[in-house]
Amino acid sequence: MAKVSVLNVAVLENPSPFHSPFRFEISFECSEALADDLEWKIIYVGSAESEEFDQILDSVLVGPVPAGRHMFVFQADAPNPSLIPETDAVGVTVVLITCTYHGQEFIRVGYYVNNEYPNPELRENPPPKPDFSQLQRNILASNPRVTRFHINWDNNTDRLEAIENHDPALGCSFPLSCTPIKGLGLPGCIPGLLPENSMDCI
Amino acid sequence: MYLASGGDDKLIMVWKRATYIGPSTVFGSSGKLANVEQWRCVSILRSHSGDVMDVAWSPHDAWLASCSVDNTVVIWNAMKFPEILATLRGHSGLVKGLTWDPVGKYIASQADDRSLKVWRTLDWQLETSITKPFDECGGTTHVLRLSWSPDGHYLVSAHAMNNSGPTAQIIEREGWKTNMDFVGHRKAVTVVKFNPKIFKKKQKNGSSAKPSCPYCCCAVGSKDRSLSVWLTCLKRPLVVIHELFDKSIMDISWTLNGLGILVCSMDGSVAFLDFSQDELGDPLSEEEKSRIHQSTYGKSLAIMTETQLSTAVIENPEMLKYQRRQQQQQLDQKGSAARETGSATSVTGVVNGESLEDIRKNLLKKQVETRTADGRRRITPLCIAQLDTGDFSTAFFNSIPLSGSLAGTMLTSHSSPQLLPLDSSTPVPFGTSKPSTEPVAATGTRPAGDSVSKDSVNAASAPAAPSPSILTTPSKIEPMKAFDSRFTERSKATPGAPALVGLTPTAMERLKEQSLVKELRPRDVLESSSDSDEKVPVTKPSSLSKRKLELEVETVEKKKKGRPRKDSRLMPMSLSVQSPAALTAEKDAVCLSVPAAALKLPMPGPQRAFTLQVSSDPSMYIEVENEVTAVGGIKLSRLKCSREGKEWETVLTSRILTAAGSCDVVCVACEKRMLSVFSTCGRRLLPPILLPSPISTLHCTGSYVMALTATATLSVWDVHRQIVVVKEESLHSILAGSDMTVSQILLTQHGIPVMNLSDGKAYCFNPSLSAWNLVSDKQDSLAQCADFRSSLPSQDAMLCSGPLAIVQGRASTSGRQAARLFSVPHMVQQETTLAYLESQVAAALTLRSSHEYRHWLLLYVRYLVNEGFEYRLREICKDLLGPVHSSTGSQWESTVVGLRKRDLLKELLPVIGQNLRFQRLFTECQEQLDILRDK
Repeated sequence: MAKVSVLNVAVLENPSPFHSPFRFEISFECSEALADDLEWKIIYVGSAESEEFDQILDSVLVGPVPAGRHMFVFQADAPNPSLIPETDAVGVTVVLITCTYHGQEFIRVGYYVNNEYPNPELRENPPPKPDFSQLQRNILASNPRVTRFHINWDNNTDRLEAIENHDPALGCSFPLSCTPIKGLGLPGCIPGLLPENSMDCI
Repeated sequence: MYLASGGDDKLIMVWKRATYIGPSTVFGSSGKLANVEQWRCVSILRSHSGDVMDVAWSPHDAWLASCSVDNTVVIWNAMKFPEILATLRGHSGLVKGLTWDPVGKYIASQADDRSLKVWRTLDWQLETSITKPFDECGGTTHVLRLSWSPDGHYLVSAHAMNNSGPTAQIIEREGWKTNMDFVGHRKAVTVVKFNPKIFKKKQKNGSSAKPSCPYCCCAVGSKDRSLSVWLTCLKRPLVVIHELFDKSIMDISWTLNGLGILVCSMDGSVAFLDFSQDELGDPLSEEEKSRIHQSTYGKSLAIMTETQLSTAVIENPEMLKYQRRQQQQQLDQKGSAARETGSATSVTGVVNGESLEDIRKNLLKKQVETRTADGRRRITPLCIAQLDTGDFSTAFFNSIPLSGSLAGTMLTSHSSPQLLPLDSSTPVPFGTSKPSTEPVAATGTRPAGDSVSKDSVNAASAPAAPSPSILTTPSKIEPMKAFDSRFTERSKATPGAPALVGLTPTAMERLKEQSLVKELRPRDVLESSSDSDEKVPVTKPSSLSKRKLELEVETVEKKKKGRPRKDSRLMPMSLSVQSPAALTAEKDAVCLSVPAAALKLPMPGPQRAFTLQVSSDPSMYIEVENEVTAVGGIKLSRLKCSREGKEWETVLTSRILTAAGSCDVVCVACEKRMLSVFSTCGRRLLPPILLPSPISTLHCTGSYVMALTATATLSVWDVHRQIVVVKEESLHSILAGSDMTVSQILLTQHGIPVMNLSDGKAYCFNPSLSAWNLVSDKQDSLAQCADFRSSLPSQDAMLCSGPLAIVQGRASTSGRQAARLFSVPHMVQQETTLAYLESQVAAALTLRSSHEYRHWLLLYVRYLVNEGFEYRLREICKDLLGPVHSSTGSQWESTVVGLRKRDLLKELLPVIGQNLRFQRLFTECQEQLDILRDK
């Protein structure tokens, strides 16, 4: 049983210009006081093709976390445009919010992000080199994709064992390879037809 | 009203239905699939060292049993989680099923070690171990859920073998004989579950009323994916359903009425079967069932429960009357409550809604962000309670001031630490002086005041953002296949986490990637920090000064909020009634001077003139004009007082530094340590009092005058009776040792001085003990854990105004939400609640606040009654009653803080009468009070 469950993530100031910082208001519930801090990360996926272009926008420690409901705002700077492949700058990508405890990831919230030119002219005739100052970032806030992982919440004793159990999942090195948990391998489909999120039960 | 769950994480969790939250959805799931019921974990039970395989509540819910792959069965005390009553050891294999004897004499367990063991609940020792039917058992099943019949006669095992066929073994209670079994399943039986009801044949019209033997009904589930239902009066199964699932049956549960059955399977599905009474028979009522138990086993071992308590004999007619009256009152209250709810709910909704909005609006600004030793950002999350209900607690753990009616006066203390580094103009490195409450980079882009910055940011981004219709075009978003895996796949590298010792070939690759990311990471960090470094020096001077301004404005505003409190009996003196200039000067002085070893409190500087409002109803002002040149070049000071239009004035020879007034007296402190006191008409009451050192703060309530001097000594006089209440008492004992400041001073109408300190503690000086008493502590963990909701007579009963309430400044929600916020074991909860209530009663007593004393005493007694603490209750009653026959040697006082003790007792009696357990105590007190009345 996870000690921490995320109740809500509100995407603040959305849509916003490409260069403005990401802001997520995260509320979560903790069933038992945690001995150590939670680590939250925002990862911006630069390109669907390769994880090489992932950027960790920021990582913060959150604590102390006593039992109860809590909330905080996680703000992170916009991604560095120079690290994004030009072909992937405009269009759909993904931003991920992950949380780890003792180095074990237990929740991953993913949002589709659409970067496009609000200016119709630019949209029709996009400049060959993406103009980031004109780009608008729109996070599809209504459709978070939440994946929860089972982790060991107690102190170290059999932590290694728990991690070993998940080794196969951690070990797959290709982003396209099968997903580690059954029922999660959602084939590509347009957001309107996304099935009800099946990950909640895990 | 509990639910227990066991998991493969070795834990048993006990859940309670949370009734105050409506249906809600799980984050990330579709809105349609709302959880109708909300369950909150109230206890986590830790003892097992392996997966928990089964949990079972005993009859009457006194015990909870759990079994595990660690070969043990643990018995938990369901009245006092997480107390363990016994750990049953003896199995040499994984224990996979549990069942309680319906009369509570035994508990049986079945394990992989091919044995079924029956344990006595009397001494938790082994009664018998049955192995014969299981000798042939090979292979394993996931579970072995056995079951005891509701009449107690039979115990039916899971997976047993008879002539190499799988069976469910029937074990008779009499001598634990194993002569019968349920046969027919093709694979091992995983679950047996008896229907909780005992049935009897449906009486057909006209048939002879021959008393048929009652019988039981049992469902058997198996690895062969089929389910069979048996009646003990039939030789063959009532029904068999083959191929119900794709995989083995895992568990079976009957509905309480005995007509429905839920079956779940390994394949992840649940089946519901519905029976009619024609099929199963007529269920016996609970009384008939317990009659069967009684006739078979004598008095059942079940523990006396609340329901049984209600059948206890009432020994006294008075008691009966009280019980009746109580019931009637409850009915009346319900009726009136129902009428009032309409208006009440709408009001609270608005109030809470606003507050929640406030929290959310200011969250980014208010949240505390620090840097760890290794330079990482660390955010302290804001603790909220139930956002769903709109209910929230004032942040318990990081004292962020939330605007509440009572919290208003306390705000000053929160803002003063912030003022310190900024106003002192000592060179402090910007980065370290203040744990920046917002990202440093953002300060540069916020020229406007903090309070409007949010809006301005919104406004700034608005023109750049065209209409949302263009932007939110989901149809145009074409997610690529690649992304889907990103949503679900665990991140490969967790920098900062200890490197894993790879055991698989892929681990090497993973380590490489980790190091790659690690390389990337510091660079990111560097970049971001250099960014902020560039911005900070440019904006530093301006932002600093602006911030200073904002903060000042803020504090003044907050003080204004704090001021409207009009309590005619006492005046919280939050240093706010003076002119703003004097105020800030004084505040700074407080902050700066206190850390010194020799205590030195701020002194008001001489002013040309100032005005002071003593009270607004009746409106009363004091005007001071210093150095009014009189004839012959002599400089005099003039004191003017106007009260409801009537004015008087007088002159003093030295300059007036500070003034204070109440409805009875006006007093002024002048230079040369002189303190003068005047009546409401301006008549001098005393020759000037010489203070031991210059004045710091002066205060009046009623006829009491309090003077706090710069050397931190405190004096209180009653000028009417012309006596000293507190004589030059040093604040050294409460202020020494740390850099605390006095944030609020209060003088109660009984002349008790109370000091609120900046660390959230409040002390009052107890003249009779000549000692400082701690009456309030913001960080008091007791207050956070206490939960006496059940003892509150009504929703708004928490709101009891008085000096204690002002000092503590606690929102009315405290003491109610503990159970919502924390999963504290009941016993701990009881202890903390008792301790908290006792300290409240004592504090109210010390402050001589009779109203509050009565309030807390009532609450405390109600809690004692509800939780059944007899000794303490008896002691209270004894003290309140006093000696019935007058004896000269008695030390007993008939009043407490102006309340007659026996009247209090009369008030408490109906409360005590609510619990029948205390009927003796009730009767005793009642009789003695009657004797006293007749005398």
